[in-house]
Parts: sequence; structure tokens; C-alpha cells
Amino acid sequence: MSGPMEAAFYVAAAVAVVSTLLAISRLVAVHALLYLIVSFLSVAVVFYTMGAPLVATLEVIIYAGAILVLFLFVVMMLNLGTRDRDQERQWFSGAAWLGPAILSAILLAEVIYLIVSGATTGGLSATVGPKEVALALYGPYMIGVELASMLLLGAVVGATHLSKQEARP
Amino acid sequence: MIADYIIPSLPLLLVAGTSVVVMLAVAVRRNHSVAFGLTLLGLAASFCSAFFVPVRQLGILLTVDRYGLFFIGLIAAAAMAVAVLAHGYLAEREGNKEEFYILLLVATLGAMVLACSSHFVSLFLGLEVLSIGLYSLIGYLRERPLPVEAGIKYLVLAASSSAFLLFGIALVYADLGTMEFSRIAQLAASGTNLHYDLLLPGVALILTGIGFKLALAPFHMWTPDIYQGAPAPVTAFVATISKGGMFALLLRYFSQSRLDLFSPVLVVFSIIAIASMFAGNLLALFENNVKRILAYSSIAHMGYVLVALEVGGQAGAGAVIFYLVAYFIMTLGAFAVVTVLSPRERDADQIDDYRGLFWRRPWLALGFTAMLLSLAGIPLTVGFFGKFYIIAAGAATGAWALILILVITSTIGLFYYLRVVVALFQKQTETEAAAPTRRRTAPAAALVLSVLTLVLIWLGVFPSPLLRIIQAAIHTLL
Repeated sequence: MSGPMEAAFYVAAAVAVVSTLLAISRLVAVHALLYLIVSFLSVAVVFYTMGAPLVATLEVIIYAGAILVLFLFVVMMLNLGTRDRDQERQWFSGAAWLGPAILSAILLAEVIYLIVSGATTGGLSATVGPKEVALALYGPYMIGVELASMLLLGAVVGATHLSKQEARP
Repeated sequence: MIADYIIPSLPLLLVAGTSVVVMLAVAVRRNHSVAFGLTLLGLAASFCSAFFVPVRQLGILLTVDRYGLFFIGLIAAAAMAVAVLAHGYLAEREGNKEEFYILLLVATLGAMVLACSSHFVSLFLGLEVLSIGLYSLIGYLRERPLPVEAGIKYLVLAASSSAFLLFGIALVYADLGTMEFSRIAQLAASGTNLHYDLLLPGVALILTGIGFKLALAPFHMWTPDIYQGAPAPVTAFVATISKGGMFALLLRYFSQSRLDLFSPVLVVFSIIAIASMFAGNLLALFENNVKRILAYSSIAHMGYVLVALEVGGQAGAGAVIFYLVAYFIMTLGAFAVVTVLSPRERDADQIDDYRGLFWRRPWLALGFTAMLLSLAGIPLTVGFFGKFYIIAAGAATGAWALILILVITSTIGLFYYLRVVVALFQKQTETEAAAPTRRRTAPAAALVLSVLTLVLIWLGVFPSPLLRIIQAAIHTLL
């Protein structure tokens, strides 16, 4: 790694640390989740600067995309009710959105700069594409994929049991 | 495909398949006995298949050899005992019961994978499958405060220990470019491109993750709380299957990656073993809660096994496996008694619950006495031979300091085991005699306890058949 890539790595890493610290120290769950999204995005940029664009994409799609949007939905749904609207107004009033927005802007500026300047990815010797990952997963690591499915089965059954609402008499 | 993969992995597939079958059965119709019966059937099939499955390397992730199959059999048998205990235990308690068996099977599968894994990827996946099952099993009685608290504690601590493990794996991979145990030994032996400043911290972090799971001394803080909070059959599972699977993995990792060639690792192992033996035995001295006493004693027992691991060689590996078998038998037996005695609203974990038990339920008290004496290492029990083989293996290689500490700490340990035994045989006071505590032991649980007691004494008198099986198992490992 050298030059702009190295600088980009440290900036993105700093954003990751800052946003994670803010995520765990926020008192309102939705604010924490906003910082968590920024944290995932910055980790994606870190992967990108290390020369792993596929992992960066997956990080954005799966973590910042699917998983966190689910989180947000659930957190917001739990607060449905009479004070729903006031609460949401309160959540997004003032500077609550400012911190995550600034941090995301830093990341965006960084990515745009990297793309425009055409900096080469350092770190890893070869860029791994989706095809290689797929061949590895369904070749030598197939048992690992099967085990991951058993892990999900256990997690789903456990989560269902622990969170199930019993019908109260 | 079928001959290469399906048949050798049959013991694992049967457990995984049974968990899916139980889940589908629950979806069709909830029935506690059906879920229990299917679970028992699947585990028994897995146990039997371990005897005749061909030995083979499955891809790069799993090694199905005599050693792995031996532990698969041991884990399946222990899981059957836990399932039987849980059946009686859950029947008296609130909430859904069927999910317990699905989670039990998934967690058992994780432990079996650990016993067979020869690669960091399968190590981590097996560990996570085991842990995910355990989080929900520990907090299974979700309307009671203690199990939920224990479940959350375990979740936080196990997740952070997984982070240590992953970071360690990443460091080793960054240095050597491989995650296979045997390749690590080759590359480390060739000595080219080796950065000890990456490799050694990596190994240290991996040992931290493993040490947490085994509750070895600096990483043992969670043990008493989780043992106390978890439902008694789950505590038996955590104590035996979870730790047994992890120790099977540690022994394989230790021998295949030739960790004994790294002298700093051996020093760390000595320190951990000594700390575990002292911490476990000393902390248990002033404890009045039987589940916590057993928790501290398990820390000490893992320390004893670590001594045997460090001694290494044929004798050391044999002593490790023999002691683990002994530990499975006596720990399962002890928690079987705790389970059977637990009233509906709480677990029988106070030492007062056991006072005068002999005069009320003599057979149960005698079984518990046998288990406790074996844990203490009294002759004519399997625990005695376990310690004997560790000491013999240690003496052969001249590890006198470790042996001396083992003997000293075992003597300290005698005190708290005998404290419980004395309580069992105390004459009960009139108020206790008047209390209507007379309950019948469920026949299935009674069967498990008597089988465990008989095996305990049989192996304590006549250990050579087991030794022969163990010799064959470690033959492929070393």
C-alpha cells in the first residue's frame, strides 16, 4: 500500500473507530443505528483500500443494506403508538442527523477521490472476484457452507423460542 | 460423492438431519415425547454409525479418523444422557419443550465438528454452531431471571472470546498463508518466511479463545455464574460436551500443528494449568452452592487434563482422552443427581438440599457419593485411574513440578467433595424429616444414573478395554 491508498485507509479506519464509539454511546437506539451504518460503510471502504472490492460490496449490501434496514424497521415498529409521531420528530430534530451525515460525507469524498484519481489497490496481490469466491465456497469449503446453514437453523430456532409471546390468560 | 462424503460424514449428518426432522415434527404437531424420541433415535443412530464408518479426510475441512470418531461416539452418548435428563426436567416446567431438542442437536453437531476439524475454518464454524445452540439452551427457561441472566452473560463473553480466536487465526494466516493444522507444522518446521512476531501472538490469541471455552484459569470467570444459572441438564451439557469437543480439538491442534515445538507455548500451558488447578480447587473451598462447587471443580479438572496434554506423546495423549472419558462420566452423573433432585420452581443447588439425602433416597445418595469420590480421585473409581495415568505420563517425562502441584491441589479438592458427601449422610433433623420431599425418580433418569455409576466403577476396576480403544484412536493422531 502506498500514497493515496494508504492515506485513504487511515481516514476510513479513523471514521470506523469514531462511528463505532458513537454508536455504542448513543442513548437513542435509532441514533446508534445511524452510526452503526456509518461504521459498516467505513469498514467497506477499508476493505476497498486493502484491495478487496468484492468484500467491500458485500459489506455494503449485506450489513449496511439488508441487516441494518431490518434493525431500523424493527426499532421503529416497536415504538408505534400514540406518541409515535412526536417521538420520530424528536429523533430527527436538531443535530441528530448531522454526525452520521458528516462521517458519511467524508467516506463518500474519499471513494470519489479514489475512483477519480485511479489509485491502484495495494495490499493484496490479486483481486478476488465473485467467481473465485463461489468456486471456493462450493468446492473445498462446501462443508463449511453446510455448517453455516446449521448455524442459521440453530439461531432461528433459538431466537423464535426466546422471543415468542405466549398467549396470556 | 456418496462413498467419499456422505458415508464418512454419516455420524454428523444423522445429528444434523435429526434436528431438521424434529423441527418439522414440531411444525406439524407439538408433542414432547415425539420430539424426545426422535432425538434419542437420531443420537443413537449417530453413536452406532461411528463404529463402522470408514476413515477418510473430507475435503480440507474435516478429518474423520478413529480419533474423531471416538469423540463423536462419546459426545453422542453424552448427548443421549442429557436428553433423557432434560425430558424429565422439562416436563415439570413451563413453556414450550420441543425446541430444546432441536437446539440440543444443533449444539451437539457443533461439538462433533470440533472433534473432527483439522482446519481453522471448521474450528470456527463448529465453535459457533455449538455456541449459538448454547446461548438459547442456557436461557431456555426464559421466564426465570437466573437462566436469562446466565444466557446473556454467556453470549457477551463467548462472542468476545470468538473475536480473540478470529483475530488469532487471522494473524497465523497472515504469517503462514494456511489454515490447515498439519500445513502449519510443515511451514513452521521449514522455518522460511516465518515471523514469530505474528505467529506467536496469533497462537496466543487462539489459545485465549480455546481457553475461554474450556474455562481454564485466567478465562474462567464466567463458569460459576453460568453453571448456577443454566438449567441443570444444560449445565451438564456445558460441562461435558462443550468442553469435551473443545478439548478434542485442542489435542488435535496441539499434536498436528506441533505446538510442542514452540517453547513459549509450553510455558504458557504450564502457567495456565497451574493457575487452573489452584484457582478451581481453592475457590470451591468456601462455596455452599453445589452447582458452583462443580463449576470450580471443572476448572481444576481442565487444569489436570492440560497437564497431560503438555506432557505430550503417546502416554500424554492417552491420559488426556482417558481423563476426558472419566470426566464425562462423573460430571454427567453428578448433574444427573442435581437434575433429579431439582424441585419444580428452582434447581437443587444449595448444599442444604442434599443434607441427609441418604436417609430419604439412599440409591440416589449412593450414586452421588460415587460421582463425588470419583471427582476427588479415590481408588476403585474411574477418576482415580484418570489421575493415575496423568501422573504416570508426567513421571515418564520428568514433569515433576506439574505433578507435585496436581497432587497438592487434588488433596485440597478432597475437602470440598467430602464436605458434600458428609452432608449426604448427616442424620436429618426433625423438621427436614417432616418435609414432604419424597418424590420418585423418573425411571429413565434412574437408568441413566445407574448406568453411569456402573460404568464408573467398572472402569475404575478394569480400565484396560477402554485403554485399548484409546490406543487405537490416538494411533492415527500422532
